Amino acid sequence: MADDIRIRVRYFASLREQLGSGEEQVVPAGATAADLWAAAMRRAPSLRRTRVRFAVNAEYVDADHRLAEGDELAVFPPMSGG
Amino acid sequence: MTIAVRPGPIDAGALLAAVGDPRAGCSVLFLGTTRSTNVGRRVTRLEYEAYERMAVQQMRALAREAKRRWPLRRVAMVHRLGVVPVGEASVGIAVSAGHRAEGFAAAHWLIDRLKEIVPIWKKEHFRGGAVWIGAQQGGPPPRRRTRAAPARVSAARRKRLR
Repeated sequence: MADDIRIRVRYFASLREQLGSGEEQVVPAGATAADLWAAAMRRAPSLRRTRVRFAVNAEYVDADHRLAEGDELAVFPPMSGG
Repeated sequence: MTIAVRPGPIDAGALLAAVGDPRAGCSVLFLGTTRSTNVGRRVTRLEYEAYERMAVQQMRALAREAKRRWPLRRVAMVHRLGVVPVGEASVGIAVSAGHRAEGFAAAHWLIDRLKEIVPIWKKEHFRGGAVWIGAQQGGPPPRRRTRAAPARVSAARRKRLR
């Protein structure tokens, strides 16, 4: 049985308005960014239409990136700076 | 290298001063400003939000990459956060270089890449509502691009010229 890990999730812009700014979560070791996002979409099914990108500890990662203890996962809707 | 993400008006003079260099033959300043209309909407203001520490990191990385691609002297970039009224600047980019061709090219590349990879978002407030710009009409088109070689940058740049 895998250990659990503690991570922090952060949402921005339109995602923040629907999900809140984020929170600490305890998830199974080996969980991926995509796993966390799938769980968020179950809370807010309208988010399925949003194309998101992930960053862990402020670096872009792929959706299949495995999270580690203490990581900060950020989920971004399409960016619109400038 | 002046790189910042913060609330408050952007000081264009300070950006130019930050790239001042006696070896430079030009300084190029780009300001992105809040337009009064967007896709037919009467815009009243824009409101910006960022993942601040990553935004600064990404802007620093872009400045370093620009210096690898072109023989630049100095680079300065500031993005404003919070409310930006119509007519005011939300982003300022200044570069100095030996000659104008690389100065213009680098400034153009920097604003294009900033829009693609720096985690900043704008909410457009208009008469009758507000909407986050990004995925939907009115924002930059969704588009995937791998790290562009200079030749591909100029192709993309032509497409993005308005």
